[in-house]
Amino acid sequence: MNRKMKSNPQVRTMSRGTKIFTYICLAWAVLVALMPLVWLFISSLKKDPLARPGFQLPESICLDGYISTFRDLHVMRYFGNSMIIAGVSVVISILMISMSAYVVARMEFKGKKLVNLMLYSTMFIPATALTYPVYNLVNKMHIYNTRGALIFIYACSGLAVSFFVIKNYYANIPHELEEAARIDGCGYAMTWWKVIFPIARPGIMTAGVLAFLNNWNEYYWASLVIVDREKLTVPALLSTFTTSFRTNYNGLFSAMVIIILPPVILYCVFSKFFVEALSGGAVKG
Amino acid sequence: MKTRNMSWKRKGFILAFLAPTVIAFVLFYLYPIVTVFVTSFCKWDYTNITSPEFFGFADMWNNYKYIFELYPYFWEALRNSTIWALLGVFVQIPVSALIALAFSRKVKGVKFARNVYIIPSMISSAAMGMIFLQLYSPLYGVVNPVIRLFKQNFSENILLLKGPAFIAMTCAYIFFTGTTTLMILGNIMAVPEDVREAAMLDGASGLKQDWYITIPMIKDTLRTVSILSATAGFLLYNEVYFLTKGAAGTYSISYVIRELAITSTRTQFGRANAVAVIQILAGMLIIVFVNLLYSQLFKGKRIRRNGGQS
Repeated sequence: MNRKMKSNPQVRTMSRGTKIFTYICLAWAVLVALMPLVWLFISSLKKDPLARPGFQLPESICLDGYISTFRDLHVMRYFGNSMIIAGVSVVISILMISMSAYVVARMEFKGKKLVNLMLYSTMFIPATALTYPVYNLVNKMHIYNTRGALIFIYACSGLAVSFFVIKNYYANIPHELEEAARIDGCGYAMTWWKVIFPIARPGIMTAGVLAFLNNWNEYYWASLVIVDREKLTVPALLSTFTTSFRTNYNGLFSAMVIIILPPVILYCVFSKFFVEALSGGAVKG
Repeated sequence: MKTRNMSWKRKGFILAFLAPTVIAFVLFYLYPIVTVFVTSFCKWDYTNITSPEFFGFADMWNNYKYIFELYPYFWEALRNSTIWALLGVFVQIPVSALIALAFSRKVKGVKFARNVYIIPSMISSAAMGMIFLQLYSPLYGVVNPVIRLFKQNFSENILLLKGPAFIAMTCAYIFFTGTTTLMILGNIMAVPEDVREAAMLDGASGLKQDWYITIPMIKDTLRTVSILSATAGFLLYNEVYFLTKGAAGTYSISYVIRELAITSTRTQFGRANAVAVIQILAGMLIIVFVNLLYSQLFKGKRIRRNGGQS
């Protein structure tokens, strides 16, 4: 999985047909990704989107929507909520998983198969099927309508993907390293923390980035267990827009641009990191 | 290391490191699943919220009977979710693989296209749903003016027309395969160089090389992402909620569960859990189906690792 290519042999031998086909694919990719976003941005600058529908350019640039959004919506609060919830839950789940994945990947013990099977089975189980029991559980734990409820749900869901990504990474680390550390007098936990954990960082980071993106964008549970407006995460806030901007389309578009802008900017700045992490380290951004 | 008599220290370490994950599994998966299965055979709704009661062996399938025979949206939801799952395997994965292959070639602008293509994946599907809701608006959207080129005076909301609504909803998510594409690309780039070089000596280059060499080499990743996108399609919820709320024949299984269990004024927990059982079984079927599909597709298609010595 992690053997890198030093040079790409196709550079020398690309036929005309291949090249044209490649460019069609690239054009499609760019078009599909940008079309909705560009339209959203253009529309947010129109004073009255009803008067100039579709892709027509605005007559004059109107920034009222942006100004009022910043003044009234307290966007930062929702970003803060999302950040705390997604961040804390990722740290908990990745730490938890990288511990258990280590034990499963590197040690022999009774019940190892069972643990493997248990984690594999979570891949089959759609989280939405568990809607009511989990909702009930959150109520019983007295964390309904708190950020803790979402942190609990996110930390426990998506175990399987993180587990297999990290376990595969551990499997490639040579055994000598551990043995050397053990001879030096490190305990089991210390060996893991000081030697294995740092080496497996790329794999752990991939799992972490995937989990963070999932949690950051998660809507189903966020809209289920949190009611108070000031505790909402960004995706859950969106569903309140249809009522709060009923006829103010300029305001609606501006608010939506502001909502999607931070992740996009963050991505543009760190695209190298994201591309590398999501492709398992094989693609250099 | 692999001795049979484990020291207590070692045992303690293993237990301590496994415990958090096992606890999370029991709390979030095992306990809810058992509840779902057991209560799908119980009368449990808004009239007896705290005390589900078993129907008795004679009537134990009551909830399922209701779902299959009386509940108006179940078959529609099952059909839609199944179509979305199939589209995941047969449309999303081929398209992402083609784009990933294009991204793997060193041509001008490839880095730009790649980075741009990931952007929608950074945005939540809730936000994408909201954006498409606006795109489809008959008042100021993009789609209606296009339809008007062919059909003058068209002023209806396509999200309220049976048929077009389903297509519109599918279009709102199906093209955004950024993470899948990157996972495939990661695997393509990890194909060892000597394999590609051997293929080139054999005269396979460009598209031919992709088809005969690269695709079979990355089949495990393709299978994994196929399972992921089929499952995601089967579980579609956000798009349904943001675009139509189930109007015009667009219910999904997840939407049915949520409606029965939480949002309805007369909540039906037992019946919602019966649908959940069906969803879990269908999820397993999807994995079996994808695995069978891949073992059939790649049957006999072995790569010649030492080929090209002519």
